[in-house]
Amino acid sequence: MTFQALFTLTDLRVILRETAPQHELDDKQREQAQLLLENLERQVSSLKQELLK
Amino acid sequence: MRCASGIEARQVDELAINIDLIQVGGRLTGDAMKAVIAYGDGYSVCDNCRKPNRLDYISKPPIAEFHKDVAAWLNMDAVRTVPGARRGFQAVAHTYVQKGDPVLLTSLSHYTEFLAVEGAGGISCEIPANNQHMVTSDAAAFKIEEVKKQFGRAPVLAFIGHVDYQYGNMHDVKSIAKVCHQYDIPVLYNGAYTVGILPVNGKDLGVDFVVGSGHKSMAAPAPSGILATTTERAAEVFRTTAIIGDVTQRKFGIKEPEMMGCTLMGVTLIGMMASFPQVKERVKHFNCELENNRIVVDGFLVVEGTKIQSEMPRKHTLTRADTIGSFDKVAESHKKWGYFFSGALEEKGVTSVIPGATKVWKFNTYGMTKKQAVYLAETFTEIARKNGLAVKE
Repeated sequence: MTFQALFTLTDLRVILRETAPQHELDDKQREQAQLLLENLERQVSSLKQELLK
Repeated sequence: MRCASGIEARQVDELAINIDLIQVGGRLTGDAMKAVIAYGDGYSVCDNCRKPNRLDYISKPPIAEFHKDVAAWLNMDAVRTVPGARRGFQAVAHTYVQKGDPVLLTSLSHYTEFLAVEGAGGISCEIPANNQHMVTSDAAAFKIEEVKKQFGRAPVLAFIGHVDYQYGNMHDVKSIAKVCHQYDIPVLYNGAYTVGILPVNGKDLGVDFVVGSGHKSMAAPAPSGILATTTERAAEVFRTTAIIGDVTQRKFGIKEPEMMGCTLMGVTLIGMMASFPQVKERVKHFNCELENNRIVVDGFLVVEGTKIQSEMPRKHTLTRADTIGSFDKVAESHKKWGYFFSGALEEKGVTSVIPGATKVWKFNTYGMTKKQAVYLAETFTEIARKNGLAVKE
């Protein structure tokens, strides 16, 4: 799960690079970012459950 | 934000359009960034190293397969990974050059090629570029004849760059290699700016060695690179060790002296491997990179007084600009002097023009999106207008 969250953040980093310097996301990039952020929240939540149980 | 004490997190490419000529082709792909996270520890690729205990034989992760794939991709017979193109130059020079031997370079050769020759005791013999900054096969033939007269023999090796670092010009390696082979001179193709950027076919070029840079052009961490060669030359440059310890009688298996045994044993190799599928794909779309470069160059040239010193139309994204007649004139009376230009670019989110440079400087548009190319072109004209320079409509 640690890697999954880090890899998701990496995918977000790639979007930041592709859209620098204005970071104006087109519809496709916005959709992709939305999905990644949702995944990240799930992954962090799972980490919390596993590590802090 | 800091990674560790005294080490700022680097966010250059997240915050700005980077046009640094040596950096853009080496930026990691997302997959390489992930691989770097997972394989950051020292000898991380060696978990499953088994006999015969050599890097290029490891099958998990698929390093052996990667070596074969790279060789096939370049249409060469054998490949080794090396810690930067310069170590490829060094291995070849050390194999073929003896003290006092003449070696062909060009007047646009990179300094590490000179150092490789020097380290082996060779003497540099530069093929001069013409006044269009091109190295031609005629000039190569003329130089070889000159060397023969001076040394009583032909050069023992030739280093020929396909695209040079000074102008980003594309030189006719195939013709030059043909001339060199007429004199039995092995040819090293310096692909630091091409391998991983555009299609390279070693056998078609007729060269004996192809050297590429991982960190310059293959989206890999530094220091990394590749040295590819033919079956015939592999037996020479990738010869295996024969030394025996006089006390211990130890031998060292199939380790290769020119490679100093194993080469890239962790994050550098895994990064290069992780990027490779995308690198293989991206070279097929180099025309899109040239189109983005054209957008930037066109936007740049509408500023009156600006020139491009590289060959036109551009065949590579590394481009040498001359702004003596435009931005440098502004610098003469600007309160920030020449720093106004790089400062204005930074303000617009464009980075890597050398601070203070307003005369002759270089940029590289490789890897940017079309939207970023348009933005960059508009930024040049905007800065020009703001500083009173004429802009052609």
